[in-house]
Amino acid sequence: MVQAQKVKKTKASPSSGNSQKRGVRLSKRATTLFVLPAILVFGVFVLYPMIMAFSYSFFEWHGTARGGFSGFTNFFTLFTREPYRTDVPRAFMHNLLIFGVAMVIQNTLGMALAYAIFHLRRGKRFFQVLYTLPYLVSSIVIGYLWSLMLSSTFGPVNRLLETIGLDRFALPWLGDPKTAIWVLILVVVWQWIGFPVLLYGAALGGVPVDLEDAASIDGANRRQRFFSVTLPLIMPSITTVSVLGFIGAMEAFALPYALGGSTGSPAGSTDVLSLVFYRVAFESGDSNGTGISSALATLLFLFIFGVAVITTGIMRRRQEMLT
Amino acid sequence: MKTNLLNKKRLVIGALVLATLAPTIYAASASANSNVTLNVWSWRPEDANAYNEIFSVYEKAHPGVTVNFQTYIATQYPQVLTTGLTGRNGPDIVQVQAYGRVQPFILGRNLVALDGKIAGLKNIAKANLAGSSGHIDGKIYGVPFATQTIQMFYNKDIFAKLNLSVPTTWKSFIAVNEALKKANIIPMSVGAKDTFLLPMISEAFTSSVYGGKDFQKRILAGDTTFEDPSYVKAISTFASMKEYMPENVVGVSYTDSQTLFISGRAGMFPGGSFELGFFQASNPTLKIGVFPVPPAPGAESKAALTPGYVDGSWSLNARSDQQAAALTLLRWMASKEFGQLFSNRLSQMSPIKGVTFTNPLLRQMANNYAKHGSPYLLITDFRWGSPSATDVMAPGYQKIFLGKTTPAELATALQQGISTWFKPKK
Repeated sequence: MVQAQKVKKTKASPSSGNSQKRGVRLSKRATTLFVLPAILVFGVFVLYPMIMAFSYSFFEWHGTARGGFSGFTNFFTLFTREPYRTDVPRAFMHNLLIFGVAMVIQNTLGMALAYAIFHLRRGKRFFQVLYTLPYLVSSIVIGYLWSLMLSSTFGPVNRLLETIGLDRFALPWLGDPKTAIWVLILVVVWQWIGFPVLLYGAALGGVPVDLEDAASIDGANRRQRFFSVTLPLIMPSITTVSVLGFIGAMEAFALPYALGGSTGSPAGSTDVLSLVFYRVAFESGDSNGTGISSALATLLFLFIFGVAVITTGIMRRRQEMLT
Repeated sequence: MKTNLLNKKRLVIGALVLATLAPTIYAASASANSNVTLNVWSWRPEDANAYNEIFSVYEKAHPGVTVNFQTYIATQYPQVLTTGLTGRNGPDIVQVQAYGRVQPFILGRNLVALDGKIAGLKNIAKANLAGSSGHIDGKIYGVPFATQTIQMFYNKDIFAKLNLSVPTTWKSFIAVNEALKKANIIPMSVGAKDTFLLPMISEAFTSSVYGGKDFQKRILAGDTTFEDPSYVKAISTFASMKEYMPENVVGVSYTDSQTLFISGRAGMFPGGSFELGFFQASNPTLKIGVFPVPPAPGAESKAALTPGYVDGSWSLNARSDQQAAALTLLRWMASKEFGQLFSNRLSQMSPIKGVTFTNPLLRQMANNYAKHGSPYLLITDFRWGSPSATDVMAPGYQKIFLGKTTPAELATALQQGISTWFKPKK
């Protein structure tokens, strides 16, 4: 049986040496010039707002005017005062649910699709494009399209179900808390399934064929070849899909907003943390809305950043163990 | 060869210098001609054509002034407005929401106090100016643009076909609903998926039950609370209307509910007077009538009350570098001429005294409000803190329709919510 350890050695040593020889060496100045635009854009549009939000969260606000330093008061408010005390934990659980289900489906169905497409003799590119299309369309557009299709009044989905005699399945999809959250999750998965399909497809292409052949000669069946040869080698892609999926699920805004509005309709069943943030910052009319929403944004960032760093570290160690 | 290169270099430098100076020269000449472009921001893209026509009247009377009317989608407007009012190169005049929603901008000193600066404000009733006043300093920060009333629209053709007359008692109102239901027509079109309109729609049914202005006086004085049996009964009244609303009402969006009424699939539509222009423009053949919902049995008010509120106002951005020109435009927006153009073109009620309503339905709605008007209490008096009354009631009514809470529980939640910031005047 071919072991993953051997695989890495066989693959890594010649290629890494070649790339070092073939690689273009850039001067420090040139490197800086290439990196500078990205750093500037990141600094202005990501880092600066992040630092500002962090600082805002420690002050009391009077509308858009900053008041006195308030320490952790805004953070305490999130957990002690209504409606935040109810809304924040509920929304957080929905974020986790979206992540949990989406990750399971993306890492199973997504991988299965990528595997099936990879082994297709014809139409590989067609299916890759087909599955990637929704992921290329704006989430807000996707959300509104699905809300139109699932409308219990004029939506074609229920009309179709009724036409073919499946009236009992013609449900108020977005009007019942029991179905609305699952509709949201399925639309999230539907839109983003193209991402793992594309990523796993590329990763599968990077697995040397001779290793699979060697495993076959050693008597490994298809299942054994997948779990003992292919899977360990595409582990970095699984980490990428999982971590990016986590970040995406925790930051979800456009789809929940388009499907359930800013209040996470119906009755808060599709509420997520970004919607709570939006309501507090722009809709509540709370004079201290900037402070409280900044505190929520800070907590959300710290949670996402912390979990992403820890998970990436664990996954990397696991990859090293496997390979 | 070298001289040639040098000349070319000089030419390039000269061109660059000229290019750099061009905007400055242009700006200077523009200033000399006193050309002014005033940016006016609004959350009503659907009204853009009408406003452009209205402002063209002002532009003709003020040569050199261009009014650039910019609109943003209503749902994106709050964050766009925050950025516009706090940053540079923002708008000169902005459309702002009334009551509690404008307070963060007043507290943040983003708007200019207009007291003593606009004579036309004297022609607007105090109750209307309250919507654009600072809750703490009492100063006026905007020119109110519309008064909205909440009533029941009905399809005249459907009523005629089924031989139904406009109900004046609760009994006849229920009879109308039953007759429509029997004829396979949705009695009243309501969209409960989009929560933001639910508290407003409910007011059409609840105000007569809890007693309108009398209840307002008592609750502001601390003599009663939202847990008062009359208010619980009011919530129950609206909740009991579910059977006449579209099936799975919580899954019906606001736009779907409008379509149901416009297309003739629903006989009635409880909503704000701002719907009128949209209904008439969307289906000019639709014959619409309007009536106030009769009081339910046991209601505090014997008369059918018509709730109303100030929709919003036009305010002056404190950071505008064209204060004088913007103020002149704002003065015109407080004039009878503007109010008349606004009412004629947009079929909405201008709060400016002396404006007449040419649209007969608008006139009828204004008359109903003048006769038995009552405040849309949840926003006129209970949207000054967080959680606001509408923030509690919007998802609360959804929960009622889903059977997840009761009217008494919702009334308690409302009272507990507003108690965190509301102090009676006692």
